[in-house]
Amino acid sequence: MALNSKKRKQNDREEPSDTFNKAVDLEMLSDEEGENDIESDDGDVDDFPEINTGSEEEEESDEEDEEDVEDEDSDSDSSLHIFPKAKTIVSDITGQEKLVYPEIEPDYDSDSSTEDAPNRVGDIPMHWYDDLPHVGYDMDGKRVLKPARGDELDRFLSTVEDPTSWTSAFDKTAQTDKPLTAEELELIRRLYANENPDAEYDPYEPLTEWFTGKGKEEVMPLSAAPEPKRRWVPSKWEHKKVMKIVRAIRQGRIIPNKAKTTSQPQFYSIWGESSSSSAPPPLPAPKPPLPTNSESYNPPEEYLPTEEEKKQWQETDPEDRERDYLPQKYSALRLVPGYDRFIKDRFNRQLDLYMAPRVQRVKLNIDPSSLIPKLPSPNSLKPFPTYKSLKVAHASVTRCISVSPDGAWVVSGDESGNVGLWEVNVGKEIKKWKFKGKIGSLEWCPRTDVSYFVVGTEDTLHFLIPPNLAPSVLQLTQTRPSPVKWSTPSSDTWTEDSAILYVHLPPSSGLPTQITWHRRGDYMASVSTGGSQASVWIHQVSRRHSQAPFKKVRGKVQLVLFHPMKPWFFVATQQYVRMYNLSEQKLLKTFQPGIKWISSMDVHPSGDHLIVGGYDRKLCWFDLELSDKPYKIPHTRNSGPFTSTQLYPLFASSSDDGAIQIFHSRVYNDLMTDPLIVPLKILRGHEVTSGLGVLQVKWCSRNPWLVSAGADGAVNVWCS
Amino acid sequence: MASTSTSATAPSCSVIFTTQTPYPLPTQKFMIPTSWKRFHLSQLINKALSLTKPIPFDFLIKGELLRTSLGDYCAENGIGEEETLELEYIESVMPPQKMSDIPHEDWVSSVSCHLPGHFITASYDGYIRFFDYSQKLAFSTLAHTAPITSLCVIPASKSSSDEDKSAHLIATSSHDLSAQITRISLSSDSASSSESKTLAKLHLHTAPVSSIASNSSGTHLLTSSWDTLIGLWDTAVPSSDEVPEAPINERERKKRRKLNGGTNDSAEKAKRKAPSMVLKSHTARVSRVVFGNVGNETTAYSCGLDSTVRLWDIENGVCTHTITSSEKPFLDIALNSDGNTALAASTDRTVTLYDVRQASSLTSTSTSSGSLPHAATPSCLATGSTPHQVVTGAYDGIVRLWDLRSMKSAITSFKAWEGKKKVLSVDWRRGMVGVGGEGGMEVWKAVEDVRL
Repeated sequence: MALNSKKRKQNDREEPSDTFNKAVDLEMLSDEEGENDIESDDGDVDDFPEINTGSEEEEESDEEDEEDVEDEDSDSDSSLHIFPKAKTIVSDITGQEKLVYPEIEPDYDSDSSTEDAPNRVGDIPMHWYDDLPHVGYDMDGKRVLKPARGDELDRFLSTVEDPTSWTSAFDKTAQTDKPLTAEELELIRRLYANENPDAEYDPYEPLTEWFTGKGKEEVMPLSAAPEPKRRWVPSKWEHKKVMKIVRAIRQGRIIPNKAKTTSQPQFYSIWGESSSSSAPPPLPAPKPPLPTNSESYNPPEEYLPTEEEKKQWQETDPEDRERDYLPQKYSALRLVPGYDRFIKDRFNRQLDLYMAPRVQRVKLNIDPSSLIPKLPSPNSLKPFPTYKSLKVAHASVTRCISVSPDGAWVVSGDESGNVGLWEVNVGKEIKKWKFKGKIGSLEWCPRTDVSYFVVGTEDTLHFLIPPNLAPSVLQLTQTRPSPVKWSTPSSDTWTEDSAILYVHLPPSSGLPTQITWHRRGDYMASVSTGGSQASVWIHQVSRRHSQAPFKKVRGKVQLVLFHPMKPWFFVATQQYVRMYNLSEQKLLKTFQPGIKWISSMDVHPSGDHLIVGGYDRKLCWFDLELSDKPYKIPHTRNSGPFTSTQLYPLFASSSDDGAIQIFHSRVYNDLMTDPLIVPLKILRGHEVTSGLGVLQVKWCSRNPWLVSAGADGAVNVWCS
Repeated sequence: MASTSTSATAPSCSVIFTTQTPYPLPTQKFMIPTSWKRFHLSQLINKALSLTKPIPFDFLIKGELLRTSLGDYCAENGIGEEETLELEYIESVMPPQKMSDIPHEDWVSSVSCHLPGHFITASYDGYIRFFDYSQKLAFSTLAHTAPITSLCVIPASKSSSDEDKSAHLIATSSHDLSAQITRISLSSDSASSSESKTLAKLHLHTAPVSSIASNSSGTHLLTSSWDTLIGLWDTAVPSSDEVPEAPINERERKKRRKLNGGTNDSAEKAKRKAPSMVLKSHTARVSRVVFGNVGNETTAYSCGLDSTVRLWDIENGVCTHTITSSEKPFLDIALNSDGNTALAASTDRTVTLYDVRQASSLTSTSTSSGSLPHAATPSCLATGSTPHQVVTGAYDGIVRLWDLRSMKSAITSFKAWEGKKKVLSVDWRRGMVGVGGEGGMEVWKAVEDVRL
């Protein structure tokens, strides 16, 4: 083994010399063919083992050829040395090996570079002297004799014997072989290595800045001549040439390129770079999945499958496998075998590219905040109710409240039959009435010259007068109703505790759930939950006359409403709102809010807009002059009743979760401008009792105050 | 040496003390360690003045009560160490203590501590009640059949001082559209019964009368009503009805006397009195009217739900100045003792301070110089005898004591009826705060500044 390695080393060492021989040979091919034999010395060395028997016997076991080559190598090494080679001898004194350099002789001959060539024939073809015994003449005119040249065998022998023979070259003038000097050999080596032959040459020497660099900028022009006119005047000759072409085109002598009408389909690389502008921009190629840890040739242990997993993987169909390889561990990268699935992977990749959808989805780059409509800040829309000022408690569920037209008093009625009258500002109950059964609805008369309100209980409407009225108002309130058809207690039996007037609705008409007044205060409409068809009654107080305006109403009437200005009357059934003209007795319009169950309805004080709310938490905003479809649907969570106020552009909606939401709603006279609806505040304060929250909300007429009645029996006043 | 070493270690700031109390310090810079709090500063002033009886002081920096240490204050407000702080010190207000609780059957709409030795309450059931300081009901009379909204004591005039000392004139306003003057003679001994007599009924208003006020000499009364009018009356009892008992169908400002004032329906009926002047300028309900202070009694101040505070020249009956604020329906107004500023409580949960010295322009908008934020609707307020202190009652049942130099938060507060019921009226005299409201009446002891 050691021998083999030695041999390999020897071969390794041999190679440079061999190549060097070749290199030298390449240089000398043009000169003589005689040197070619040297090239074949590799093959010949083995043939003549006996020649080198006289060499040193350093290693007995070595074969001769190796030794020979080594010897040659060492010699060639020595000849390559520019400096004299040191010899290693054993010192007599110390017994150690030491280097001894040869003596330097300081004479002229020691430097061969100054030696003159003896032959002075000049640069002539040397084959002129082939037949002559001399090769030229020296400085003194004497013949220089041709040196003796051995035959091929001698030359070959010299290659074996003379270690410098392979570094020698044929000198034409001397007609003999001369050993190359170390400088020449170095030059050859540099040429062979494609280096610059001049060892002194530095290709990377620093740049000497003469005209550039700091402080050396050329500030003065090279010439003081003024700039010629042609620099800025368009060329006349170019103009003439162009005009010539233009004229030719006009006269038809030159036909510009015809539009290429190729019926053949144009192909382009869909994944490649965009070559032509006509083709659509290249699609981004679908990205191959990135390699994972388990695909490593040396994955961590936790990625390696267990035997069961391996078995399971092998048993499943290739389509059903989670991954199409099994993680495997190799200790070294060179042990990784060839990738057996390369073709399949490539094919799959091509399939991916081929099957990839050729659709480019453009991502919309929109700032989400820019989509939100610009709403004014709620602070700029003050005043609106912001806090709960006071609370008046009822014993049971308070279904209905009403605020007096002057905004000073509130009446509230609960399910146990109590009706309380109290101040808005203080919350002190001044007067209390007790009725049998539930209070279904109550409403103040909107007139300001009289003061009374109507309470609806089972089958009956009670007209009540609040206490402490001014005598004139009281007088007017008392005298105005005169008994025609309705039952009135005689005036001497009347006290403040009893009603001044009763209206007995038809029996089994049920509890009036809603009482609504016309703005003038003469007409009043009531809706009863009686179940029969004619549950809507319109009462005229001045004439003491009641009539049912509708013989037959499709659906169950939920709410009715008078239009504030026109003789219009709104009737809301569960899903539709119908608008009737009372004077002409005909149906004007049917609104379709798209609400499952309408819970509340109100007309904007301007009279042009109708708001409809439903139990399914929707709120619809209709423009009466436009279509019968909702014009705008503000987002709300609330489903309960709501109301809008006369003086302030506010409306409030309430819900069964006990919250009241305040909206700002500004309607512009300009028909082009959309109404502005801004949610302002959510007021919380009512407790949810048996699934019911806020049951009714009403605005005070003069101030932005809100009164709300809840199922928890509380009536709250919300102040700004 | 010791002091220099401590000052070198602890950071200190320079402070100048100012005061309006009768305990001034010489104007001088003090180097105070920043870790000092109110207690240390108060001790320092007590020591510097070498007061025999220690007086606790509170300290104001830029109108704000110092509640933390000086260093914390500087850090919070970004005041550098080099700046000189100006500390104003005021006498501390002791936490109020409850003296008595007088429950009522109905809500108490108005209380008065005006008479020494007695509290007077007006209630929603129409009764005027007198209580002595031992919470004993001294006298009660049914003055109105409707709720009484306001009550004031008409001070006895000089000429009538020789009369019975125990007779008092009480003016009340009510929901029954009238106000009335009642003379109540309290008997000192229990043997003879106290008696009351309605002297006159004031008939002007066509809506509930919201407030009544008397001037300091007891010669004139002012009533305000929901019908936007303010009536000026003299207190002389007329010999005959000035306003005729109106027939029902006549449309004048008359009241159908359906029920006369209850108990004293004797042979001598109360005279019906007409106003000497009607002040008409408000556009909505007038919630409160007050006279100016002593020396300025020709001026009246009123506030209403139309968000205005109006100043009246009651000799000529004209509105001289209107302060209009935006959306502040006012519920109560009170004049400071110096007469320069007025405080008005509004439903937007603020009590606003207005400068009511005669401004050059007739109307100005919102010349407020500060407002006191409340947690609930402030319903009533009463000023103390110093121009800096004010007591406000709110619907959350908390009565707050404010110093107008520190408007960000109340100096102290107490809860009447555990803070569950509304406060409708406060009165503050002689170190006692009378609180009337939903739960009756409570009396709390809150020491006023005794500077003036």
